[in-house]
Amino acid sequence: MTESERPVAGAKARILVVDDSSLVRLYCRDVLEKAGFEVEQAINGIEAMEKVLEQTFDLVIVDVNMPRMDGFSFIRVLRGSASHVATLPALVVTTEAGPHDREEARAAGANFYLMKPVSESDLLRHVAVLTGAPQ
Amino acid sequence: MSFDDSKRYFIDRRLAERIAATGSGSFQSYFAMLRSDADHEIEHLVNAFTVNETYFYREDHQLRCMTAHLLGDLLRRKPDREAIRIWSIPCSTGEEPYSIAMWLMENWSEVDKYNIEIVASDIDTRALKAAAEGVYGARALMRLSHDMIERYFARIDEAQVRIDPGLRESVQFTRANLIDGQDMARYRDFDIVFCRNVLIYFDDASRRIAAENLYDCLRPGGYICLGHSETMSRISPLFSVCRFPEAIVYQRPEATDDGK
Repeated sequence: MTESERPVAGAKARILVVDDSSLVRLYCRDVLEKAGFEVEQAINGIEAMEKVLEQTFDLVIVDVNMPRMDGFSFIRVLRGSASHVATLPALVVTTEAGPHDREEARAAGANFYLMKPVSESDLLRHVAVLTGAPQ
Repeated sequence: MSFDDSKRYFIDRRLAERIAATGSGSFQSYFAMLRSDADHEIEHLVNAFTVNETYFYREDHQLRCMTAHLLGDLLRRKPDREAIRIWSIPCSTGEEPYSIAMWLMENWSEVDKYNIEIVASDIDTRALKAAAEGVYGARALMRLSHDMIERYFARIDEAQVRIDPGLRESVQFTRANLIDGQDMARYRDFDIVFCRNVLIYFDDASRRIAAENLYDCLRPGGYICLGHSETMSRISPLFSVCRFPEAIVYQRPEATDDGK
């Protein structure tokens, strides 16, 4: 990441919400915008990949079960990338709750894992930690 | 379902997608189509706004709570031979109501002594159709043991299984909208309602309307189970909180001032 690409301190953190459910994207967007974040959306891993390569984000919130490219594959591709996006923090938000999913999320390179649906306070608390925003 | 103003942008976008999908060209002609209910477009529009992503035995600590505490308490107060009525709303593609039926058969020794009615409702007709067909893939089954899958499903092919016809018959599927008072008035006398992971997506006003409707659908003393991140105390003061070791559930108080 070059200096010019680095988010300016005090500027709104930009978050990409990746989920194939419009209702879930809408919910995250409302909660995050109300808290002062800038939100962009993508409907699967492919669209998310295009967006992270074109734009600058501070965090990506990713669902697991999506058509075309699932959340774990997306994070693996992200982490394997040679560009600045390889270190982009990723918060996995999913209905899956088994211990294997948690392990797989960690193995794929996710920074944290939350079970859907996520309450407003849980979402904001974890987003604050991962973006370094004041809580 | 209703949305507050902050959600307008999104609805406009979903609407634009439906206008394009139906080849209506403009909002005016799309609206005319909605009004005439041509090709059940209202259903398609509703279906575009719902979440269908679940699995068998999701949040099974609440099912454990049902057999460990709720049923015993309900039966102590229940007149002889009155059916135990359980409602799954929204039931999405059927995993929840079938899980309730399976859980009772597997974990409740008294299951054969009582008449148990399981009703499952959703606003999304596409999900209801899938629920009635009862065809599932590996993802939906991930929490079930091999034995359970053998017992309650028949294999269709490598990737899919179909629910046992007896289990299918034990659940009655219907369409219902949580915030439509007329719709909800058709549902009464439930002992336990599972309403999980939907209220969180509503705005405050719709949430309160849904909670009040659900209150009327319950028998006095009946219980309601919400999703793990949902809290009734923030939605409506009508219910009492019951803390069990397995789960927090909410109860319609047994006696109310208006004599209900």
